[in-house]
Amino acid sequence: MNALLLAHQVRKVYRNGSVAVEALRALDLTVHPGELVAVMGPSGSGKTTLLNCLSGLDDIDGGRVEVDGRDLFAMSDAERTAHRARSMGFVFQAFNLIPVFSALENVELPLLLVGTRADRARARAKEMLARVGLANRVGHRPAELSGGEQQRVTIARALVARPAIVWADEPTGNLDSAMAGAVMDLLCELNRDEGQTIVLVTHDAAIGQRAPRLVRMRDGELADDLRQHAALLAG
Amino acid sequence: MYPNLLAPLLVLVACLLAGLAFVALRQPVSRRLAARQLNRRRSEAALAITGATLGTAIIVGALVVGDTLNFSVRQEAYRALGPIDERIVSASTATGAEVAARLAPLRSDPRVDGVLDARVDQAAALNAKGDSYAEPRVLAWDIDFAQAAAFGRAGGPSGLSGARPGQGQVVINQPLAQSLHARAGDPLALFLYGKTYQFLITRVVPERGLAGAGLGAGVNRNVFLPSDVLETAAAAADTQPRAATFVSNRGGVERGAALTAPVTAQIRAAVAGTHALVETPKKSVLDAARKTGDALGALFLMIGSFSIIAGALLLVNIFVMLAEERKSQLGMLRAIGMKRSRLVGSFSLEGSAYALAAVVPGVLLGLGVGWAVALISAQIFRGWSANGSGLAIRFAVTPTSIVNAVALGLIISFVTILATSVRISRFNIIAAIRDLPRTATRKARRLTLVAATTLAVVVAAAAVPAVARSQPESTLLLPALAAALAIPVLRQVLPARSVFSAVAAAVLVWSLAASVVRPRMFDNPSMAVFVILGVLVAFSGVTLVSQNQAAVLRSVRRLVERPSENGLAVRLAVAYPLAKRFRTGATLIMYTLIMLVLVLLVEISGVIDSSVATNVAQATAGYSMRVDVNPQDAAPTLADLRRSPDVTGVTPLASATALASDPGHRTTAQLAAIAVGVPGGGLTSMTFSSRAPRLDSDRAVWDLVAADPRYVLVDQYFGATGGPNGRFYRPGDTFTVTNPRTGVTERKTIAGILTSAIAFYPASSSSGTVYPIVASEQAVRTQFGSAAQVGAALVRTRPGVDPQRLGPVLQARYLSASLVATPIAADVRRMFAANTAFFRLMQGFLALGLFVGITGLGVVMVRAVRERRRTIGVLRALGFRARTIERSFLAESAFIAVEGVLLGSVLGVLTTWLMYQKSAAFDGIRSGFPIEWLTIAALAAATLVASVLATLAPARRAAKVLPALAVRVAE
Repeated sequence: MNALLLAHQVRKVYRNGSVAVEALRALDLTVHPGELVAVMGPSGSGKTTLLNCLSGLDDIDGGRVEVDGRDLFAMSDAERTAHRARSMGFVFQAFNLIPVFSALENVELPLLLVGTRADRARARAKEMLARVGLANRVGHRPAELSGGEQQRVTIARALVARPAIVWADEPTGNLDSAMAGAVMDLLCELNRDEGQTIVLVTHDAAIGQRAPRLVRMRDGELADDLRQHAALLAG
Repeated sequence: MYPNLLAPLLVLVACLLAGLAFVALRQPVSRRLAARQLNRRRSEAALAITGATLGTAIIVGALVVGDTLNFSVRQEAYRALGPIDERIVSASTATGAEVAARLAPLRSDPRVDGVLDARVDQAAALNAKGDSYAEPRVLAWDIDFAQAAAFGRAGGPSGLSGARPGQGQVVINQPLAQSLHARAGDPLALFLYGKTYQFLITRVVPERGLAGAGLGAGVNRNVFLPSDVLETAAAAADTQPRAATFVSNRGGVERGAALTAPVTAQIRAAVAGTHALVETPKKSVLDAARKTGDALGALFLMIGSFSIIAGALLLVNIFVMLAEERKSQLGMLRAIGMKRSRLVGSFSLEGSAYALAAVVPGVLLGLGVGWAVALISAQIFRGWSANGSGLAIRFAVTPTSIVNAVALGLIISFVTILATSVRISRFNIIAAIRDLPRTATRKARRLTLVAATTLAVVVAAAAVPAVARSQPESTLLLPALAAALAIPVLRQVLPARSVFSAVAAAVLVWSLAASVVRPRMFDNPSMAVFVILGVLVAFSGVTLVSQNQAAVLRSVRRLVERPSENGLAVRLAVAYPLAKRFRTGATLIMYTLIMLVLVLLVEISGVIDSSVATNVAQATAGYSMRVDVNPQDAAPTLADLRRSPDVTGVTPLASATALASDPGHRTTAQLAAIAVGVPGGGLTSMTFSSRAPRLDSDRAVWDLVAADPRYVLVDQYFGATGGPNGRFYRPGDTFTVTNPRTGVTERKTIAGILTSAIAFYPASSSSGTVYPIVASEQAVRTQFGSAAQVGAALVRTRPGVDPQRLGPVLQARYLSASLVATPIAADVRRMFAANTAFFRLMQGFLALGLFVGITGLGVVMVRAVRERRRTIGVLRALGFRARTIERSFLAESAFIAVEGVLLGSVLGVLTTWLMYQKSAAFDGIRSGFPIEWLTIAALAAATLVASVLATLAPARRAAKVLPALAVRVAE
């Protein structure tokens, strides 16, 4: 099977005056379609930097990243942006919904960006909101939703355009354990039922251990890459 | 300007500063918080200082304009009068000798430091060098130079000294030298009493003091003759020159003028019965200077007040946004026990620091603005006079104006900041910490509710008699205030949006319709009425739109909902202003208010322009030219003129200097006037804007005036001292007309208000405004006796003859009679062009407010980029291109600007149209209401471009936001 994501010798250095911190050190990672990969590690290990660099949100200082067969950093910013719109979805810890848009408007946004007709975008967004259990909250603005509801809207937004890969940065970080469990259930279900490729960053072991593949990071490098047994996951 | 305001303003500023100092000393935490915040966001601090700077600059600019006008008119007193405080003019040398003898005791009066006798008469002059430059208006003087040099010496040079010209020589002053293009050594031909005399110019003296002296004109072209030449020439023509005695009060120009009242009383007592005319030229000029300076300063302050309001709104917006940004930290501070009053103290200290930092740049910028306005005014004032003798504008600033402006600017800033600080300190602590949106509370506190409702009832009750009496300010303000005070009680039963919409709609409709429902409201308008009207219309209009943005945007939904990236950018651009109503509303008001007044000024200019043709027709009434001649030569000159093939009619005008009471009762002082006598049946084609009851035609008015000496005619500007036009008197009203030589006073009744009386104003520009009173020739001669002389005439020219070409021909032909020909139509056009230029100047001054609005929009967008960094990051992550983000911000600012510009333009046109229908300010210029599409469109386009340019930098900054950094959550 061809890799969906191929990261080769990826380096990222943060410079602050004369101080340089190597956040990613010649990192290699491959993700295949349909995988749910959890990236774990202690604070400052480079998890979020990895996600940002692999998704093309941030520049890299060395190496190569291919998503869906295309080298992200060989593209112009505009091409990379368009590629992101077509192929990627994002879920952030702080939800990051557009506060002045309703839940429905937030979810239809990625579809409209790729030129889907307005009526189709709206129908698909409603369908997606129903899929995450928010059919009755479509007209609400983010400030009128609970944290769990906001994160479900974020997930709906990330998935609505059927992206090749969804990046989730601490998707449960701002939620209580019950809510976090529910969100994780939803992500696992989407991965299992629809084959959605998901890379999620978390520092929560309980969340990370529910992913079929667990990548551990330490000091900007991959420390472990574990494929967990289905039985273990179930347990 | 406004020295009487200095003390109260300083006391108020001192109180406010003392309050701030108290807070700074007693609340160390508030002080520390304010100091740290000042340092933290330097760009925001710079923007807040810019807002306060513009406000101060506008006030300084307006007052400096007043100072400049005041100083420029005062210069007339220094230039043309110098030591001359009183002037006693006698019609003949014999009377003059009698007057001189009676005034001799004044020479030893301690209040007087000079009495000078002179002979004077009107002449015409020609530069005989061969260039043929001629001047029909010359005053020929016989003055003893030695006595002149000593005249009023205690107060400074008299303006005339040195050797008296010898036989065959003359000394001339600068204005005459300029008219004749002459200099010392040139030959001069002088036309005196019908004969020509040849002289050699020995000296040209500057137009100062006695050298610039005259008999009431603004500019005097003087020739000083050798001893006895004037009397000999007069005797040869079997007449006598006029005599003038000048009196100088002890002290310089200003101190001497202070003694005018007692010295004049003594002079009047001394010359009683001689029929000599006692005038107080210096006091009149200085009074006129004060009035002109105050009126124009007030006018610019009124225009500037809209910009000042915009500046205050900018401060409000900046503070609300700063509070928004600091919401969570403010919430934490309140959570750990900081009192609300300390938050208010901290914000007030911070804001006051911005206001104080704005003082110096505000003053400097204001001086620049005032200088620019003075420079342009100088051009306009030159245009107001046909012969370039209009007021010479000289830039001037008084410390009083600067201190007043700074104090006023600080008070406005302090009060704005305090009110905003109180508002932003009221928040829910948990909502602030968790960054939750502000929730509207329906229930007002009981005390607030009771107080507001009681006040609403009281104000509504007070509004009834005010509206019934059409009191201008109260008719507009009280009903609006009552409606606003009713908001808390209405919110008990209705949703907020419905209440605000209903109240805003009611205030808007009332503000617009008040002038229609109560048409007499504008009969006695003050500057404040127009400020109140503009503010009410703009605030209510913006509130109505802000509360109903969704309905407004329904029309553009198709554009907003386009499923493209640009469509999404537009959707975002519109979504934020809709969500942030307060800040959008504050920015919208800035745009709307300034555009409303700009459009109002544009429309008024348009109305004036479109009425030129009608006004020309009304002013001329078939007469194409006014000629002014030396009264000595009037009869033969006018008789000769009647025989000219180019002339089809000549109507002589007999006139006499007069004093009149104000028929509008605005002042108890006597107004300088000129009684103009028209021969019975001589003038019937001139029209009236209003006639006395029972006079059903213009002809009937003229017949009544011809038949009954108790009836007179005036125009609508009688006693006007600047500011908006009103209807201060009506036909049927009475006032007194006094012969200043004899003191004989008669009560006159206004038979009609002339649509245009421009043909009756004296041709030579006077040093002050002289209002014409038109009566029958017989009535004028009866009251004024020999002082009533024919010195002017209205002339009808043959069809096809161009009066502008004929004028110079007649002036050359009748030079010896000092004939001055003024084509009336050209005069009207020149006056209208100058008026339009003045409106343009006011538009330019107001444009400063637009700059405030655009700066405000820039501030909002800078803050928006900072506030939305995370959202921008998400959008970029989702696939928004950088340039789409940039476009979204540009579209957002364009949306606000378009809405403000459209609203301001529509309300501006509507307000002007409604005022045009009923307001006295438009009397005399109603010839159709043009909508100045082109100018308004250009204004709107320039505003939009400037707004978008102001947003370019923050929009680009937004486009450069790195998605990874923006959405990053600390690991």
